[in-house]
Amino acid sequence: MTQSGEPVIGVANLCKCYGDVKAVDGISFQVGRGEVFGLLGPNGAGKTTTIEILEGLREPDSGSVTVFGMDVTRHAPSIKQRIGVQLQTVSLYPRLTVTELLDLFGSFYAHHLPTKQLIDAVDLGERAKARSMNLSGGQQQRLSIALALVNDPELIFLDEPTTGLDPQARRSLWDLIKGLQGRGKSILMTTHYMEEAAELCDRVAIMDHGHILEMGTVPELIGRRFKERAVFFDTSPKLPVEQLGKLDGVTRAAVEDGQTVLYSRDVAGTIGALLGLTDQLNIDPHNLGIRQATLEDVFLDLTGRALRD
Amino acid sequence: MNTLMRLTVANIRSLVRDRAALFWTFFFPVMFVFLFGWIFGGSGDGKVAIGFVDQDNTPVSMGLQQAFSQVTLLTIQTGSLEAEKAAMQHGDISAIVVVPSGTGVAVAAKSATSIQLYIDPSSSQVSQVVEQIADQIASGFNLQLAGGSAVVGIQQMTLQSTNISTVAYLVPSILAMALMQLGVFAAIPLVQQREKGILKRIGATPLARWKLVGSNVLMRLMVAIVDAVVILGIGLIFFNVQIVGNLLAAAGLVLLGAGAFLAIGFALASFLKTEEQATGVVQVVQMPMMFLSGIFFSFDFLPGFLQTVARFMPLTYLADALRQVMVNGTQVAPLGVDVAILTGWLVVCLGIAARSFRWE
Ligand SMILES: Nc1ncnc2c1ncn2[C@@H]1O[C@H](COP(=O)(O)OP(=O)(O)OP(=O)(O)O)[C@@H](O)[C@H]1O
Ligand SMILES: [Mg+2]
Repeated sequence: MTQSGEPVIGVANLCKCYGDVKAVDGISFQVGRGEVFGLLGPNGAGKTTTIEILEGLREPDSGSVTVFGMDVTRHAPSIKQRIGVQLQTVSLYPRLTVTELLDLFGSFYAHHLPTKQLIDAVDLGERAKARSMNLSGGQQQRLSIALALVNDPELIFLDEPTTGLDPQARRSLWDLIKGLQGRGKSILMTTHYMEEAAELCDRVAIMDHGHILEMGTVPELIGRRFKERAVFFDTSPKLPVEQLGKLDGVTRAAVEDGQTVLYSRDVAGTIGALLGLTDQLNIDPHNLGIRQATLEDVFLDLTGRALRD
Repeated sequence: MNTLMRLTVANIRSLVRDRAALFWTFFFPVMFVFLFGWIFGGSGDGKVAIGFVDQDNTPVSMGLQQAFSQVTLLTIQTGSLEAEKAAMQHGDISAIVVVPSGTGVAVAAKSATSIQLYIDPSSSQVSQVVEQIADQIASGFNLQLAGGSAVVGIQQMTLQSTNISTVAYLVPSILAMALMQLGVFAAIPLVQQREKGILKRIGATPLARWKLVGSNVLMRLMVAIVDAVVILGIGLIFFNVQIVGNLLAAAGLVLLGAGAFLAIGFALASFLKTEEQATGVVQVVQMPMMFLSGIFFSFDFLPGFLQTVARFMPLTYLADALRQVMVNGTQVAPLGVDVAILTGWLVVCLGIAARSFRWE
């Protein structure tokens, strides 16, 4: 929310290759204290690679990476005391129970939260004695998030935390994340869900092919690309796009998925002109509506790909 | 409770809750001890078999034979001295009582005479039992026939039984096999944990890596001790295989052996990527050792070519060392050489693992 003092994460010109694949190709960004920062990007964009370098799990090829102002490659042990980590793939000892795992991981840290409190935070009370291998996918995901919170970390890395959760569990995780932010925690997360990024992230960076394409708050990103709003209705042969492009306020007209979309600077003028035209022709535009551009539009525009492909 | 202990407990829990792992580490060797014990054991009743050689053939000698056969702890077989000596050397019997000709005449004349008792001083527990029994029988005889004066004495003879019984051979060998499997099979959960990303996840915590490794080693060494106690216990209780050597030396060897094979397991885990690979390769490594290292039959029965192969296998030396220390087995190599070879494997494989082990 507020960015004050020294950033908790500082990344400058970070590069990481796997053979010929440039997984991360010269990215720079900062995350302020108390900020929720989202990394968005299609599969293979380099999000996980970036996060795991910050967690001290992979070596960067070049560039500087600091957490709490300390170089990650040189101060990993003391940084690890203060961060919480949830990996993209759930990774738990299969035959230990929820309680045993939280106790065990707690013992790795100088300070840790009571297991009961963590179990309640992710709503796993009923499964506290279940072995992790017998949990459902969503329950494992929640346990993995509880494990990320075991040391009451100042900075939390969440790599696709809500993938595999049902809508209700996703909502309750959103509340959990907002609660963490309310307590001054900083969070770096990745997600493939637009609503989620819009709901939780103070700022997002959109990545593709190892580059950051765009960075800022969600309204900023939308405003930067789409000054217009869209007027849309079911395409009709009696209303050719070429003609519609000349209506008041319209900057661009297109047919997308069986709908005619008019991007307009002046929505009231455009609709007035459109209705005048349909009156004249004595037809009814079906499913007429107006919408704001979304992060999804920004994303499509930037990467040419849907967020989940 | 500190981190190392917690991790060790976590490892023990994971093992105990894994049926397949439990089978290989405990039930498989136990099954083998029973199986081969029953096949080769003959008298599984805890009795001591002795040979009785009657060169006298008088009522006195027959009385003595009857006295010995009435002792419930003993089973008696009779035959010529040559035959009985051969049987003792082969490990079929533990002692021989010889009544020389002229004993009956001497007793009748109340002049001092003696019977001979062949024992193997290296299997001291059995020898002591037989000695005591023979003493009691002799003094009972003296009391009855000569009013207490020492007419029949006992002349102790020693006979090294160079060949131990099949069961006595098998018990330490199967223990060696169990330790080998315990160590080599350690590769599987390690690879599993790496494949699942558990090692990586732990790498994101401040836990020192040596503790992760240490807890694994600690857990396996504890299991090694339990395996040893269980296998030797079954050998003793069901098949009367006595541990004659120094227990401390035996325990040391158990730990050294477990350590060496654990190092081999870690080295294997360094090169294996998937769980399926690990399960396959581990079997390829352990099967030939199990059959060629002189576990189920003596090394000498192998054709020359396979003996050479077996001489490269660390299990050959662990089994040899355990047999030497525990049951006075004949040696494949001197004990010092066994220990040196096992230590060599430990150091080299640990070095390989330390250099090549990947956490991810
Ligand atoms: N260990 C690795 N070895 C080789 N290549 C890798 C490795 N990890 C990632 N890559 C490659 O690096 C690129 C970036 O991968 P990364 O996992 O960072 O993407 P991501 O943005 O997290 O994708 P997703 O949304 O699918 O999780 C991909 O092309 C991937 O194939
Ligand atoms: Mg990823």
